[in-house]
Amino acid sequence: MPTPVKMPRLGESVAEGAVGAWLKNEGDWVEKDESLAEIITDKINAELPSPVAGRLAKILVKTDETVPVGADIALIEENADVSASPPAKAAPGADGAPVKSPAQAATPVIEVNRASAGNGASATPRSPRVDEEERQRISPLARRLAQEHGINLNMIAGTGAGGRVRKEDILAYVAQRQATPASAPRSPMVTPPVAPAPTLPRPMPEPIYAIPTAAFAPSTTETGEDVEIVTPSRMRLAIAEHMVRSKRTSPHATTVVEVDMTNIAKWLEKNKEEFRRREGYSISYMPFVMKAVCEGIRKFPTINSSWTEDNKIIIKKRINLGIAVATDMGLVVPTIYDADNYTLAGLAKLVNAVGQRARANKLTIQDMQNSTFVVNNPGTFGTIISVPIINQPHAGILSMDAVVKRPVVIEDDAIAVRSMMYLCLSFDHRILDGAGAGGFLQAVRTKLQSYGREIDMY
Amino acid sequence: MSASAKKVTRNKVTYLEAISQAIHEEMMRDEAVFLLGEDVGTYGGAFKVSTGMLEEFGPERIIDTPMSESAIIGSAIGAALMGMRPIAEMQFIDFITCGFDQIINMASKMYWRSGIPVPMVIRGPSGGGTKGGPFHSASPEAWFFHTPGIKVVVPATTYDAKGLLKAAIRDNNPVLYLEHKLLYRMPELREELPEEDYIVPLGKAITRREGENITILTYGAMVHQCLKAAQTLEEEDDLQVEVIDLRSLAPLDYEAITASAKHTNKVLIVHEDTLTGGIGAELAAILAEDLFEYLDGPITRVAAPDAPFPYAPALEAAYLPNAEKILAAARKLAAY
Repeated sequence: MPTPVKMPRLGESVAEGAVGAWLKNEGDWVEKDESLAEIITDKINAELPSPVAGRLAKILVKTDETVPVGADIALIEENADVSASPPAKAAPGADGAPVKSPAQAATPVIEVNRASAGNGASATPRSPRVDEEERQRISPLARRLAQEHGINLNMIAGTGAGGRVRKEDILAYVAQRQATPASAPRSPMVTPPVAPAPTLPRPMPEPIYAIPTAAFAPSTTETGEDVEIVTPSRMRLAIAEHMVRSKRTSPHATTVVEVDMTNIAKWLEKNKEEFRRREGYSISYMPFVMKAVCEGIRKFPTINSSWTEDNKIIIKKRINLGIAVATDMGLVVPTIYDADNYTLAGLAKLVNAVGQRARANKLTIQDMQNSTFVVNNPGTFGTIISVPIINQPHAGILSMDAVVKRPVVIEDDAIAVRSMMYLCLSFDHRILDGAGAGGFLQAVRTKLQSYGREIDMY
Repeated sequence: MSASAKKVTRNKVTYLEAISQAIHEEMMRDEAVFLLGEDVGTYGGAFKVSTGMLEEFGPERIIDTPMSESAIIGSAIGAALMGMRPIAEMQFIDFITCGFDQIINMASKMYWRSGIPVPMVIRGPSGGGTKGGPFHSASPEAWFFHTPGIKVVVPATTYDAKGLLKAAIRDNNPVLYLEHKLLYRMPELREELPEEDYIVPLGKAITRREGENITILTYGAMVHQCLKAAQTLEEEDDLQVEVIDLRSLAPLDYEAITASAKHTNKVLIVHEDTLTGGIGAELAAILAEDLFEYLDGPITRVAAPDAPFPYAPALEAAYLPNAEKILAAARKLAAY
């Protein structure tokens, strides 16, 4: 009885997903938890581990086909014929001819149908294939990128010295393939699961389904020399849909307080380097604000709630803070679970880890679910007041802006230079009124201003 | 000259003055710190690093020694074992070879053998470009880089010269601090230093210029040649070159090196020392072993040729790596 493999749910608002690439072919042996396919959804791309060990009996969903969450996408035969042992590590080359090394296996051949001719000639010490290999020059990085994107290197003309295929060539090809709806034929090679390069933007696949929103109704687009038409990535489309839906769902109101961050700023200035050296990760204003937000939520629990479709308010007891992270591809909001349980140092560590995962495109399904409130930090871009849009289905979202030195009138009517920051709370006016929102902001401010010169991070 | 202009020049110190400041401040801060070496007392040091210190600290803390590097370093090891924090000056770093046995067989292994730390600094003028010939131009870092148990740091800027020396003095291990004599009084390196106490941590590289296309890993005086080349590459070739100043050779900042290499995918290594078995060889090995699949071009080195340091000015100019040689190597790598 074959075991079905189902389309996983990658993120709570995600209802469907597409197979970006099959990493195994029909008939291949897979180990349990070995990567089977690359799954693409609105928010993240992830490799799908095999639920069992066995032989991939049938692929039910083609590459780039979108199916609902839970749908069967493949069948795995667990009690496969024992005599058919797992394939040897060195897989046959693209042309089916025997190969002597993994490097050779990964080297594409110019004519794919040499297979039949190759059989007779395999004993010849210098087969024509060797010449072809020497002609096809590829940098190690380009070779890896080609495998990751399932690109047949024969499709690519190298622009490096001596016609070498290098990074730019692969990225240009990927960009071009994206722009053309009829995508280029994929290589028949088995693509081993390789971690994505953290610093290279992964290509976004062509948008596969239309976003069902009036705002995205087809419009007549003018073309000409004066404009450039860009097809948004899937993530861009998802963000667009979410933003419009949020504005339509929640009546947004925004309120702002000004916070004196002087003591925290001074502490950071003095201890940042030392902290980083000691702990191996950096600390910023973010953990301080997160900690204060947790305290504010404790005092005003309705901040941490949702308005349901049948007009109820769900107040959530766990405080899972989503933090907005800008990546090369767009905005993602991974979750810091139970943020109220951590020290400042603990929060700094988690923020750092999740930010790194986001930028490396390695967020997990878990990272993308279950947030209850979002802290956004556009201040890193130097902004001083931002009016954020709520991440549905939350009751509010907080933006922290840049900490800047300003002349401020202090208690005894003197003017002093203080490090000031605006905190902007956008809230769902169905759930909260100005009093509740203001109370919450006051609590956050009080906490942030309560720090003295010495701050205990643990 | 107006009063304010005078003030600015006075506040901007040279690389050499930064070294003096570091020694002075650490001696003020900690009585265990003392300086010993040839001519460091009455004469104030061959390059005047310790001018006035004998008068200020007395002959027990500023010690003129006989002309024996082995004795200077050996005494420093003994003092360190007894809880002092000696700074042993080599008049020219070339002569450190006379104390080689003390460093390799004693200082670097002492803690491992006895469990007693050896907090000492060996420092002195290194590097060429000053027409010093074969015995006054050495870059000896590779010998010590190869030896476990000794740290090696090479400051490229005035700020780092002070901060790294202070960190070296406060470190509980033997630290070889290689100052570059060409930078000692270079006007471009004059810098206003913070009034408050600061250190530059050992083991941390710094990005001197950010870029996308190529990473240059370098240190010491070559940092400035690399920055010059990077500027030209931006202006003439539209290439964004990232320049990493390693600052510490032992321990190396593995994370900074690999992060930058992963970002640009092409790495050029530049050092003034000779090519074979140099720091660049180790860096190349790290990149090839750990980041092979991130490389979009061959790891490339620019270094001095495997030959003794020449005396004739024309030969010296041909021998030393410079912005022009770096430029040529970077262009070739970019086109690969």
